[in-house]
Amino acid sequence: MRIVILASSVYSETSCAMAVRLAEVGYIPVGGLALSSLNRATLLRKFAQWGPREALRYARSKLIPQTGTAPGRMQNKLLEPWLKAGEQRFRNLKEVARFYRFPVAVCRDQNAAASVSRLRVWAPDLIVFTGGNILRKAVLSVARLGVLNLHLGLLPEIRGMSSPEWSLLSNVPVGVTIHSMDEGIDTGPILRRLEFPDAKQCRSRAELRNRLIAFGVEQIGNVISDLDRGLLAPTPQPDQDVDTQCFVMHEWLQARADGLLTGRLTRATHE
Amino acid sequence: MARDKASSKIAKAATEIGGLLRAPARVIPLLRKLGRDSFRLTFEQRHLYSYASTQRESAEVLNSVLRWILDAQRPDGGIAAYYSLLTGYSESYPEVTGYIVPTLYDFAGVGGDKGAVARASAERAMLWLLSLQMQTGAFPAGLHGSPDERAQPSVFNTGQILQGLVRAYRETNNPEARNAAMRAGDWLVAVQQADGCWSGPSAYQHVPHTYYSMVAWALAELGEPSRAWDSQRERPYRNAAEKSLDWALSHFRPSGWIDGIKLRGHPTYLHFIAYVLQGALETGVLLRRNDAIDAVAKSAWVLLRKFEANKFLPGAYEPDFKAGHRFTCLTGNAQMSCIWLRLFEVTNDLRYLNAALKMNEMLKGLIPSRGPAGMIGGVSGSYPIWGRYQPLRFISWGSKFLADDLLLEQRMKQSLPAEEVEVLPCAS
Repeated sequence: MRIVILASSVYSETSCAMAVRLAEVGYIPVGGLALSSLNRATLLRKFAQWGPREALRYARSKLIPQTGTAPGRMQNKLLEPWLKAGEQRFRNLKEVARFYRFPVAVCRDQNAAASVSRLRVWAPDLIVFTGGNILRKAVLSVARLGVLNLHLGLLPEIRGMSSPEWSLLSNVPVGVTIHSMDEGIDTGPILRRLEFPDAKQCRSRAELRNRLIAFGVEQIGNVISDLDRGLLAPTPQPDQDVDTQCFVMHEWLQARADGLLTGRLTRATHE
Repeated sequence: MARDKASSKIAKAATEIGGLLRAPARVIPLLRKLGRDSFRLTFEQRHLYSYASTQRESAEVLNSVLRWILDAQRPDGGIAAYYSLLTGYSESYPEVTGYIVPTLYDFAGVGGDKGAVARASAERAMLWLLSLQMQTGAFPAGLHGSPDERAQPSVFNTGQILQGLVRAYRETNNPEARNAAMRAGDWLVAVQQADGCWSGPSAYQHVPHTYYSMVAWALAELGEPSRAWDSQRERPYRNAAEKSLDWALSHFRPSGWIDGIKLRGHPTYLHFIAYVLQGALETGVLLRRNDAIDAVAKSAWVLLRKFEANKFLPGAYEPDFKAGHRFTCLTGNAQMSCIWLRLFEVTNDLRYLNAALKMNEMLKGLIPSRGPAGMIGGVSGSYPIWGRYQPLRFISWGSKFLADDLLLEQRMKQSLPAEEVEVLPCAS
């Protein structure tokens, strides 16, 4: 099966881990299309969100990537098993691509005509989305089996952003859903929906997110393998009319989600 | 007609420029505000993923907004309609003075030492309002002393002032407030049309408007059995509120859009859309009408999605919420935040609270903390300040709705249970 990876940036650890995981189960990607990580809109957004110092640090990290064999700072240490190949540690998608010999292209918009043409040249059977733009029909229809997404929440209950946090506050089990993408936000047919049993062990939202991503990367390999062998078929989501889309969570609510995690840990420890 | 309109515009422009010439000290704050809004517009990023973090505490901004309202109270006891960057404070505005009274009492309930000042201010405002009531029980249109005021009683203003009278009676047991409220209510019932709307010379531009659901809310408050009014007279007020609510609900489209706002010569400002929603929601809550709450929730959700996608709501819309204008009406944004907070209270859906918290971060960031007295803590008509809705002015009804919004935010945050970690039993 020919698979292409869509990434939010060449520096996305999740994209790198996903590419390695696919190779691990026998599907070396035929291409990777990443959003440019250093453009005016992104920089202005970082400037507005974080202030000038952090925006400058961000720009510097993209302009002067780390070199040599130093391990560098890993945001999600749980992805380490996939980001290491012997002594080497992959720092970006280009290094993964060099190792497995597949091409990587950088674009400013994954929906742009040039991006769609690029995807068509790779003629994928399946696209795996690890981040980037909200995809339009032109991209969604390129691959025979569509575009797969790893959503960090259980569908259809929790759609959209900040899903682990919304799951916690809404008292919905924490989990991941691997689904085909359509033009709605997280409304496409479901391939596999998995509750995450270890949520209670997490001490913070960041840890929960990292563990969910690692769990999802592991699972997506199995799903693609089953899909290829015809063992899995997408199932349309129930309750299409119910709008369960969530949006970026405000920090006051995020702090409550954190508090809830801490509380659960306390209860688990004492039980 | 067109000639009259043009000459009135010229006269208005001459007054505004004349105001600036008489008080040249206002030039610097004006230029500074224009510059700041231009700069902010150039650099800010508003989209689905953008997020304003807390830079200013809500309590601090609330105090500053309340300070603005207190400063805007004129010697007669009424609250000015606006502080113009060109002409300074306006005359007292009966309509807004009326519905600022509940805000002042709400603040008095949580404001500690400053609460006493707010309470005293509410009582002065009420005394002034009582002196304005007409023989019929109605209250006049327009600014105090304007030709409009002498000419016509106003349904909308009477409804808004009724909110203040009802609250003042609940707070003070002043029989004058009670009698004035009932006279105002009786007049509103008497001039209501059979289908539940208000039209004719006492309605703005002589046509019925769906945003008069705010009047229905005031009547529902007056007819609320728990208010200990005259029990014989509650029923007509509630019936009138119900009729008005039904009339307004018949104008809600399946898309969530509301017809019948009808502002001739103006676009459909968000402020008026929010009026319809707020009035229908609060009336629906008081009359236990789930159909009204559902209809409002549908429209409010459409606007919530638009807000989340762009992190601001345009100041005016075309039908079916299409083609929003580029400026923001801050008052309308604060009202929408109030509506989302109340919907959170009614439905328990945290997404409403989440949107309101983010909206409030945006609004708090636009409240000046420096400048002359009429600017600090003021809510501008539009952002940027030269936007179409009340340009170059800080408006008292904007302050009222932002204060209501921040008070509600405080109440909603306190209403959520303490974090579990506080209450877990410790086995050791």
